[in-house]
Amino acid sequence: MAHVLFNCFALLTIAGAVGVVANKNTVNAAMCFLLSLVGLAGLFVQLDAYLLAFVLLLVYAGAVVALFLFIIMLLDTQGRQKWDFSKLAVFTSLVAFGLLLAGLGTFVKRGQLEAPNPNAAGGVGAALKPYAYQLFTTYLLPVEVMGFLLLVAMLGVIVLSRKAGAGEDAP
Amino acid sequence: MDFSALQALAASNDWMAIFPEVLLGCLALALLVLEIVLPKSLHSSLPGVALFGVLAILPSQLLSFSVGFIEGDSFNGLLHHSYEGQVMRVFFLLAAVLTCLLGTVSLPRQRVPRTEFYHIVLVVTAAMMLLAQSNHFVMLFVALETVTIGFYILVSYFRGSPASLEAGLKYLVMGALSSAVLLFGIVLLYGVSGNPMLAEHTATGMNFDSLSGFLAAHPHDFLASVGIVLVLSGVAFKIGAFPFQIWVPDVYQGAPTPVTAFLAVGSKAAGFIVLLVLARTFSAYAWLTVPVLTLMAGATLLFGNLAALTQHNVKRLIGLSGVSHAGFLLLGVVAAATVPLGYGAVYFYLFAYLLASYAVFGVMAHVAGPDDADQELAHYAGLYKERPFLALVLAIGLGSLAGIPPLAGFMGKLFIFIATFRAGHYGLLGIAVVSVVISIYYYFSWIRAAFFESWTPPADEASARPAPTPVGLTAGVILGVLAACTVILGCYQGPLGMWLSGR
Repeated sequence: MAHVLFNCFALLTIAGAVGVVANKNTVNAAMCFLLSLVGLAGLFVQLDAYLLAFVLLLVYAGAVVALFLFIIMLLDTQGRQKWDFSKLAVFTSLVAFGLLLAGLGTFVKRGQLEAPNPNAAGGVGAALKPYAYQLFTTYLLPVEVMGFLLLVAMLGVIVLSRKAGAGEDAP
Repeated sequence: MDFSALQALAASNDWMAIFPEVLLGCLALALLVLEIVLPKSLHSSLPGVALFGVLAILPSQLLSFSVGFIEGDSFNGLLHHSYEGQVMRVFFLLAAVLTCLLGTVSLPRQRVPRTEFYHIVLVVTAAMMLLAQSNHFVMLFVALETVTIGFYILVSYFRGSPASLEAGLKYLVMGALSSAVLLFGIVLLYGVSGNPMLAEHTATGMNFDSLSGFLAAHPHDFLASVGIVLVLSGVAFKIGAFPFQIWVPDVYQGAPTPVTAFLAVGSKAAGFIVLLVLARTFSAYAWLTVPVLTLMAGATLLFGNLAALTQHNVKRLIGLSGVSHAGFLLLGVVAAATVPLGYGAVYFYLFAYLLASYAVFGVMAHVAGPDDADQELAHYAGLYKERPFLALVLAIGLGSLAGIPPLAGFMGKLFIFIATFRAGHYGLLGIAVVSVVISIYYYFSWIRAAFFESWTPPADEASARPAPTPVGLTAGVILGVLAACTVILGCYQGPLGMWLSGR
């Protein structure tokens, strides 16, 4: 049963990812991204990482994809011409793709992990309570730094997107 | 509910250990508050508050050398306060002071908000200081992202200029890519070291000490070596080493001059201290890291110098020469794997680079016109006749960057070469010597423009040269001090030299 479910979710993830790249309609591409995330969340649930699955759905599916859709609708990207690749670009991307395949091949061949012990203890990210304890004791400093990161990001949005002439100091 | 366990866990959250960073954060927040509270007529004093505020924090950082945190851990092993880490904290504070100073010269020429610039510079500095002491991948990544996101904004800060926005976008895309690569490597290392089927597996694989113990027990694990290469590649993006240097010229040219300086010195130094710490953590995999870094160093040296030869825009030139300096520093990192002198050589080189680079960037900020991306070599013609002080500072800075004997840059290169020689990398040493010779050519074409050429106004108005900004008192004093320190550090190394030989 677990194998069947794994295969289903893995297929969903990969099909969604392919859909994002292959779809010409950007709204459909965003929806495919959502599909891929749902598959990924399913895989996380199978690994007993419920919190991670939940956060993934909440943050990405809930917030990020909605943001994508807003931007797509604001920009109105429909009906642009197809990409025109130069010969050099095609050649380089083929080489890069070959390298990627080779890397993936080695990974599959040599990167096998032994089957893990089924009785191993779950990580701290598996459930909300131990995760929260860790976050506010062991990892308190990164959380505080994160606050400054968000402040800087917010300031950046204000500075870079403010209407020209408003709140600026004249030269 | 048992709180004692939580208290025990939180007991090592020792905020006194990161006192200077906390002060920097408070100063950054105070700047934003002051902008709201103060009347508009006093807003011009805010850059001064930032500059002298950081200068006031410097002594408190110097005090931390004597407090009992040295060579100890805090925050449950997230931070390790090594002696080198303390030295680098001083380095980043100095870089922040000098960046604020350049900001007071460059920003008034543009229609941009001022206070936010200094706020972001201070936060980025604090994050770099934490980065220099991080002993845990979570801390490292959070601090690195704070630095990077701050730089995304700083690079595109002159948003009226298309070049600045283009640079910001390029830096954003490349930065996001490099973060993804770094993160993938970290995840692989964490996953492998946490595998319960392997001996010496550890639940805290993000901690450098635990990870280093695991790696020593499995010196030829395939997944771990992939992870190590990915982590090193992620860091190489930040320092602009060879296969990952494509963003450097465009971003350096488009970014505002103070930001270019901060990016060249601060961001690069942060990358190198991370690289040194990681190289020590991965010491069991020296069979992998030393060849990878050796190849990277050789290619970086050759690429940086050969590409800089053909540049006419001084910001692109200094960017590509920065790539070659990353090559010299990588030489030190490679040597440090076997020769302890390598560590000291890298730190000394970084200090010499800081002094010389900010001297040059200081002159660039004064010579630049309203279009910050347009700074040609030709604009420097006749600088010596018009502004002898700026020309002299420029000559000392460039001479030090090129490695001319009585200056600090020469000693830095000498230490690196000695370490490389002792480590037995003779091929690399040959490439490095050739690179020095090439670099002298393009640095001296800049000096020649400033001293020996005279400016003939072109017929068309469009390519007219901007008039240099007058040198203010603070800027003049600090530029003079930078040039003097470059000369003094070249002739007499003092405590820094002692610290080098004492290792």
